[in-house]
Amino acid sequence: MRAALVIAGKDLRQRLRDRSAIVIGLVAPIAIAALMSLAFRGAETFHYTLGVVDDDHGPLATALGGVLHEPGLRQVVTTQSLPSAAAARTAVRDKTVGAALVVPTGFSAAAAAGHPAALTVVTGADNATAGSVTASIASSFVAQLNADRLSVATALAAGAPGSEAARLQSLATTLRLPLTTVDRSVGATPLKAVSYYSPGMAIFFLLFMISFTSRSYFVDRSQGMIERIRAAPVRPHEIVLGKALSVFAYGIVSLGIIALVTTAAFGADWGDPLAAGALCVALVVAVVTLATLVMAVARTQRQAEGISAVLVFGLALLGGNFVFLSAAPPIMRNLALGTPNGWALRGFTDLATLGGGLRTVAVPIAAILSFSAVAGGLSALLATKAVRS
Amino acid sequence: MTVLAIARASLTRLVRDRTALFFLVVLPVLVIVLVGATVRGFSTWKVGVVDEGAGAAGQRLVAALDRSPDLAVDHYPTVRAMSTAIARGELNTGVVLPARMDEAERGGSRTSVGLVFEQANSSMQAAATAVAAVVRAEGVRVQAAQFATAQAGGTFATNLSQAARLEGRLPRAQVRTVAAQASSSILPEGFSYAAPTELVLFVFLSAVAGGAATVETRRLGIYERIVAAPVRPRDVIAGETLNYLVIALGQSLLIVAVGALAFGVSWGDPIAAALLLVCWSLVGAGAGMLAGTLFKTPEQASGIGPVVGITLGMLGGCMWPLAMVSPVMRQVGHATPQAWAVDAWTALLARGGTLATVLPDLAVLAGFAAVFLLLATHRLRHVLAG
Repeated sequence: MRAALVIAGKDLRQRLRDRSAIVIGLVAPIAIAALMSLAFRGAETFHYTLGVVDDDHGPLATALGGVLHEPGLRQVVTTQSLPSAAAARTAVRDKTVGAALVVPTGFSAAAAAGHPAALTVVTGADNATAGSVTASIASSFVAQLNADRLSVATALAAGAPGSEAARLQSLATTLRLPLTTVDRSVGATPLKAVSYYSPGMAIFFLLFMISFTSRSYFVDRSQGMIERIRAAPVRPHEIVLGKALSVFAYGIVSLGIIALVTTAAFGADWGDPLAAGALCVALVVAVVTLATLVMAVARTQRQAEGISAVLVFGLALLGGNFVFLSAAPPIMRNLALGTPNGWALRGFTDLATLGGGLRTVAVPIAAILSFSAVAGGLSALLATKAVRS
Repeated sequence: MTVLAIARASLTRLVRDRTALFFLVVLPVLVIVLVGATVRGFSTWKVGVVDEGAGAAGQRLVAALDRSPDLAVDHYPTVRAMSTAIARGELNTGVVLPARMDEAERGGSRTSVGLVFEQANSSMQAAATAVAAVVRAEGVRVQAAQFATAQAGGTFATNLSQAARLEGRLPRAQVRTVAAQASSSILPEGFSYAAPTELVLFVFLSAVAGGAATVETRRLGIYERIVAAPVRPRDVIAGETLNYLVIALGQSLLIVAVGALAFGVSWGDPIAAALLLVCWSLVGAGAGMLAGTLFKTPEQASGIGPVVGITLGMLGGCMWPLAMVSPVMRQVGHATPQAWAVDAWTALLARGGTLATVLPDLAVLAGFAAVFLLLATHRLRHVLAG
């Protein structure tokens, strides 16, 4: 055991002396997670300024103004009065407002007289969302006007006598749309981008350990280091254990520091510490077994570099470390669950949104450990075969 | 001649390195496939639907939601499963169609459709607004049919189809949408978004990571040996530059070809696009050479190089449109050459731009390339002078 610890200590010292280990293990993941959270902050909180042109000055325009200031909409829309439709177009083009809504002259009077006019939504090509939200608000507003007119027309078409029209009309104005919506809470905290990308980037750079470790093994071998260690009373499995321990320690420390820094500096939510810790341990175990697998499969340093590079980027791409997987089509979300890093990200996502502790991450941890068991078993099998031959 | 020989030697070394080929050829294509399939709609809301037994009325509402161009509808078995999907960010909002909704509509009573979202999250609020508009539009016909059934008789079903027929003919208050400007400063969705941005990202990233080869050459003392022969230092520099330029151009052309042939990306005005490719390859060549002279070990180049490439790519709008970020981040982003290249591709692909439109961007890129190449030449000259 002592020999294993000595080997682990030597590997760690060697790793830390090359500054790229610190860049890859700490600086890069934190910097990239910070950049991502900065960029996505705007996308998470959708808000726009709506230019409103009131050429009507009638009761309907006032009612529409009331709708725009309803509490639910307040965090999505801020209104700004604009003098004319032309000014609205200019403001949208100059991006001083996200979209504009024009209530034309005589809108209220025309609706009362039975010749309703159109509300105009001015949209810009760069803020399609603002345009569609404005259109939704406007069409929700005109729905009641139209419903009342359509009700009278349908009743008349269904056989109500024409002499009844006036009575039906006044009756219709008291109607309320029979189909309404009622807000229900999700019962979970929506996922923040930073809570996804912090573990995402930490895991991506952790995967690089597969390359470093397998590479260092072949460098050691080519320098005759392994033979020299074997000349001492050190058993082969202690060498393997030593290498594995150094990867393990480096991985846990790197994930731990990134978790602390991103939580403190950017408000990332890694969830319950115990559960997050267990998830990290499982993941580092998976990385260790993958590194041994590469060592067992590769014959030369070049091969080890090639195989691990493909493995690292393949896993990162499939597992969702680069793209916000939740936004991806279902097939890609399922593919991600074929990778240990994909399961880990699913675990961190659930910890940050659904909450809970070890129970929340039980399935992801089990999946990652089964993956590790397969990779570890396979490399043991290959290693024994190599020793025999 | 010497220049060509040096470039050829470096290229041969690269072609024999299968790992390098993976990063140059396979990875960019994989990422384009992945991003192209993922980046769908910066303006489409994803809506989940749970039907608790709403009957025909529920189906009509789902059909209406499906018809809305702003919404993408997905079905879920339980409210719990849907809420989990909303929390994970897989959906922007959820709709719960209540049991016996159809009976309620027929019977002339009011129904409430559940909207599952978190009010504190404004994108969810915006998605809910879009869904609510569809629900209200559906309510217009239901109100008319209920009113007609109560006032004039007949069945709800016939009155509902009558209302649907009349709705198109009746003068009604409408919502007209006019575009203030036709051109966008965001690339089109899907592969037309993924291909140009990944081109910008990968040509630069591969070049910087490829600096490892130059570091290796330096470490092995190959440059000293070359200069010991009657070879002028400037030929060595030209040869290396040519090597990087050929790699960058080759990779660009590959991405252009794959984008056009496999994913139907139209790359815009051919002359402007070609010049943009050349300018960007020069930027890549300069950055790669510079990396080759700055890094001390090949591990640093292949480890830190991609990190630098990815970070600059993020700042420069390769990962998300810069139109989406704050003005400060947008300005910071334009300190990177990536932002200018993505701007130029956006002008070509989204606005049908021509050479005249992208000339300022090309000039900036040429400036970046010149600075990188000059710095790299200066440093390499230093190395060659021993």
